[in-house]
Amino acid sequence: MITMSEHGDSPRQRAGEPAPGEAGGWAVEVHGLTKRFGARAAVDNVDLLVRQGSAFGYLGPNGAGKTTLIRVLLGLTRADRGTISLLGLPVPAQRARALARVGAIVDEPRFHGHLTGRQNLKILAAARGGDAEKQIGPALDRTRLTHRADDKVSAYSMGMRQRLGLAACLLADPQLLILDEPMNGLDPAGMHEMRDMLRGLVDEGRTVMLSSHLLDEVERTCDQVAIVDHGKVIRQGPIGELIGGTGVAVEVQCSDPSAAVRALGQPAIASRIALTDDGLTVTLIAGPAREQAAEINRRLVGAGISVYGLRPAHARLEDWFLSVTSRLGEEQ
Amino acid sequence: MTQHSLTAAPRASWLPPLPLIGAKLLELRKRSVLMVITVSFTVGLPVIFYGIRVIYHLSDPAHYGPAGTASAFATAGTLMAEFGFIVAVLLGATAGTSDLTDGMFRHLVITGRSRLALYLARIPAGLSVVLLPAAVGFTVAALVTGFLNGPRAPGTLTPSAGALAGAGLWLELYLVIGFAVGLGLGVLMGQRTVPVVLLIVLDIIITPALADHALPHFVNVERLVIGVAMDQLKPAVLAGGAHVGPTGGGLALPPMPTWAMAAVIAGWVVGWLAIGAWKMATRDA
Repeated sequence: MITMSEHGDSPRQRAGEPAPGEAGGWAVEVHGLTKRFGARAAVDNVDLLVRQGSAFGYLGPNGAGKTTLIRVLLGLTRADRGTISLLGLPVPAQRARALARVGAIVDEPRFHGHLTGRQNLKILAAARGGDAEKQIGPALDRTRLTHRADDKVSAYSMGMRQRLGLAACLLADPQLLILDEPMNGLDPAGMHEMRDMLRGLVDEGRTVMLSSHLLDEVERTCDQVAIVDHGKVIRQGPIGELIGGTGVAVEVQCSDPSAAVRALGQPAIASRIALTDDGLTVTLIAGPAREQAAEINRRLVGAGISVYGLRPAHARLEDWFLSVTSRLGEEQ
Repeated sequence: MTQHSLTAAPRASWLPPLPLIGAKLLELRKRSVLMVITVSFTVGLPVIFYGIRVIYHLSDPAHYGPAGTASAFATAGTLMAEFGFIVAVLLGATAGTSDLTDGMFRHLVITGRSRLALYLARIPAGLSVVLLPAAVGFTVAALVTGFLNGPRAPGTLTPSAGALAGAGLWLELYLVIGFAVGLGLGVLMGQRTVPVVLLIVLDIIITPALADHALPHFVNVERLVIGVAMDQLKPAVLAGGAHVGPTGGGLALPPMPTWAMAAVIAGWVVGWLAIGAWKMATRDA
């Protein structure tokens, strides 16, 4: 496993290459993928590796190119350059075979509104062929839609449509699920339910790749993430290792946070200082954390600022995301 | 998760399996407004037409002749052809675009099923929806013509069974053409309304105008219009006659050779179906 992902690492290193003899492999393997719309590259030379049996988050702001990448992966639109492999099978050369064990939701899940949920699934099962029709009942059970399966989809809420989309994915008995913004439009209870369902699928050995701009949900659901912006993957790796790489942070409660920022910045004692509602969060530079915390306290007291509390901050994906994107902004 | 290998799926085949055709049929059948329009214009129309004639005849036989005369059959046949064509276009365009407009096309493509198979499944499904009720409506017309034609005046003719069968086949062929053009144009444009309006304009404005006026130097171009070719193939029984065979020179245009009529008809059907298949195979989902 690699501890920190940077531009120079190979995609295999960034994703955590399986150790020799380790079971599984790559559920999704993408190299040099580019998709342009005119002069704009929606997907720009992307390398991506998603380990089988993991939950992988594809993170980025709206318009970053998440949905386009998913559409290219599934063969819904053609790539201009690059190679794709799903479950070890090259796409588009063996697309039909690969998609036989892939379930996917792209954009908002929409169905024939004049048909019931069950009838919509019947149509998709007919397209899949094989045993897919036998999976309709279990898929409805699993997504807790059985009691509404014979209602018209036009009467479904957004959350029910998301669950019906997931049920459609399950018809394939999928080894890989590719879900585009599956939490969109869900209330907190719906998100919780969806998260449990996705984790349950991963626990069964399936791979879930989901795109989202909801950092908190991705952190709770996924093991690994890639951050995409302007069509490029800028970081990729296991969440714990990526967040760990941001350094230790300390939350400081004090009488004058603005003055505290100035006091800590000259000379710099932290790699990043962010104001919060009741103080500031200081990300420490590499070195002994206890000594640095003590130095923060000394400096603040020396500057005449009352310190009410110092405590370790729990590093979060959102902080890491912001630190990565702000660093990139500074580089640019 | 069941552990089975990623076998070479027959889903890559371009042939649509029966369940896929059945699924498309289900989707079309459940469109209640479309079904009401289809049944009204294919079955309801001849039933009402002949029902009114029967009532008139029974209430005042001296003024109103029997319901099943040859001229009544010609009128009913023409109505069924014109409205049936519109219904067929509507069904074709719906079959071609409903997955797209409802957002199901993407789900279907993600299954890995060949796009050509998805497209071809629409043809038998959609045709069965329009041809079966049209056949029922035509049977009503034929039965009335055969059994409720009353005592014949000297010199009048009753269409023979062969003539009626020919008229029925012509009518069904006309609907097949309407469906194929509606399907191809619908898939090409990705929407239903504009193709339906365009083909209604073609059917009830452009075609009659061209059929009634031979444009100097452009006669062969006029013959390429499907309605013109179909009018020349129209059985005499649908033009008020009673014999078997096409009307031939009933239009302002010089008659077309049979091979030319067949070529125009086949060209429209195959051409539009091929255009729809191409667009379906290459469309971004």
